[in-house]
Amino acid sequence: MALIRRVFKFAFQDVGRNIGMSFMTVFILVLMLLSVNALWSVEILTGEAVHLVKDQINVSIYFTAEAKDDQVTEIQNYLKSFPEVVNLEISNSEAVLESFRERHKLNPEVLGALDELGGNPFGPTIVVKTREPGDYQKIITALDLPEYQNLIEAKSFDEHRDAINNIQNITNRLEKTVLGLSILFAVISFLVIFNTVRVAIQTQRVEIGIKRLVGASNWLIRGPYLIESILFTLLSLVITAIILYFGLHFVDPYLAVVFPSGFSLTNYYFSHILYIAGVQALAVLILTVLSSGLAMRKQLKV
Amino acid sequence: MIKVNGVTKIYSTSSVALRDINLHIKAGEFVSVIGQSGSGKTTLSKLLIAEERPTKGGIQIGDWDISNISAGEVPLLRRQIGMIFQDYKLLPKKTAFENVAFALEVAGESNRRIRQVVPQLLEIVGLTNQATRYPSQLSGGEQQRIAIARSLAHRPKIIVADEPTGNLDSINTEEIIQILKKINEFGTTIMLLTHNRDVVNSLHRRVITLQDGQITLDQSEGKYLI
Repeated sequence: MALIRRVFKFAFQDVGRNIGMSFMTVFILVLMLLSVNALWSVEILTGEAVHLVKDQINVSIYFTAEAKDDQVTEIQNYLKSFPEVVNLEISNSEAVLESFRERHKLNPEVLGALDELGGNPFGPTIVVKTREPGDYQKIITALDLPEYQNLIEAKSFDEHRDAINNIQNITNRLEKTVLGLSILFAVISFLVIFNTVRVAIQTQRVEIGIKRLVGASNWLIRGPYLIESILFTLLSLVITAIILYFGLHFVDPYLAVVFPSGFSLTNYYFSHILYIAGVQALAVLILTVLSSGLAMRKQLKV
Repeated sequence: MIKVNGVTKIYSTSSVALRDINLHIKAGEFVSVIGQSGSGKTTLSKLLIAEERPTKGGIQIGDWDISNISAGEVPLLRRQIGMIFQDYKLLPKKTAFENVAFALEVAGESNRRIRQVVPQLLEIVGLTNQATRYPSQLSGGEQQRIAIARSLAHRPKIIVADEPTGNLDSINTEEIIQILKKINEFGTTIMLLTHNRDVVNSLHRRVITLQDGQITLDQSEGKYLI
């Protein structure tokens, strides 16, 4: 017990008396964590933005006025059987006519032309939403059956095809770029931290040698460095959390403008706090303990 | 107390530090081991604290055969032999008091005992007033006295001093030698490794001469003869 207390005492003494080095280590860890969180936020925002755009895309299937209700229901059931379809909204002829009149209520010429036609020239409409924009093509192809040719007047997907393809391409590229940047940054961070700890250990090489000569066990030499690693990890996490808290509060109002759904990064972080803090604490701890362990291994050989 | 039987230490085929050394030092002796740089003095001291292992032969400290000592036992051995070095080897970020206390802390001594023993040790070397100073704030002689106080922390039966006066002027050298003599008078075996002719000649004690890794002379009340 006394030995454990001494390990802690030596660790705190080391931190205090090497304050410059301690500050630099924590500073680099904080920078690394902030950068990781920035990338993390970009990833979250990208996902949210893509989700938002995807959500606004759908395919409308316009039936001819002659299409009967049971025929429309049959196609509706057929479309429901596709696992890619997440939502189907059907509007009957009257609803479509009503919607048309509402849209053009300020245009008497259009309404006049409609009246001249007499009766309801519109057929029912089905609005289809799929999981991924890429799935729309599959739905369109599935509807290209000879028995449906006379029932379906138009499919609005053609108008969205380019937009959907562009979003698909941008999303894929963005995800790849963010992933690449994340990996690159993780590697750079590891090298920087490893080197910082290695330099710290190197400068204390003589000191470790003296401790060994005086009869200190390896545990008594290694222990304080491990405690220091844990201390630096906790300290850097707390500082990062404080900076992040204010940073997110600053960014959130701007996000509210971009995301009308009311998406907030602060809320996201709070609802995932255990996961985010846990993963980052574990990563930093592994990084610091592994670096100091590797750097010390050579020095502790008797 | 110290038995060195047929010890050879080879670092590489072109670097043989010690050749078939046989040595027996009794308890309470004050022995000077002399020789020029590269004669094998430091290798001998490193073998005694298991910093190096003999290539051939055996070493016994009391009844303890340390020739093939395990890594776990090394700290225990080092707590039983007081070591003094030419470059003092003090921890720069610890005060004089903490440097001496560290030797007791690593052995698991209680804080109460540390608070009791360290001032006594500092008093023996005459540095009670410098307890709160860091090594960089002390002179060479004072630093070496702190190192001596640290070496005495475990009340060792043996003290190995490797060129303890190598960095000191004649006045400080004299003071350090007087302290070592005083320690020896209380029954501690002293092994002084040096190439300081004046020190050896003034001691009138046993002198072992090392040349090219071999003992060439062993005089009971010897002089520096190289």
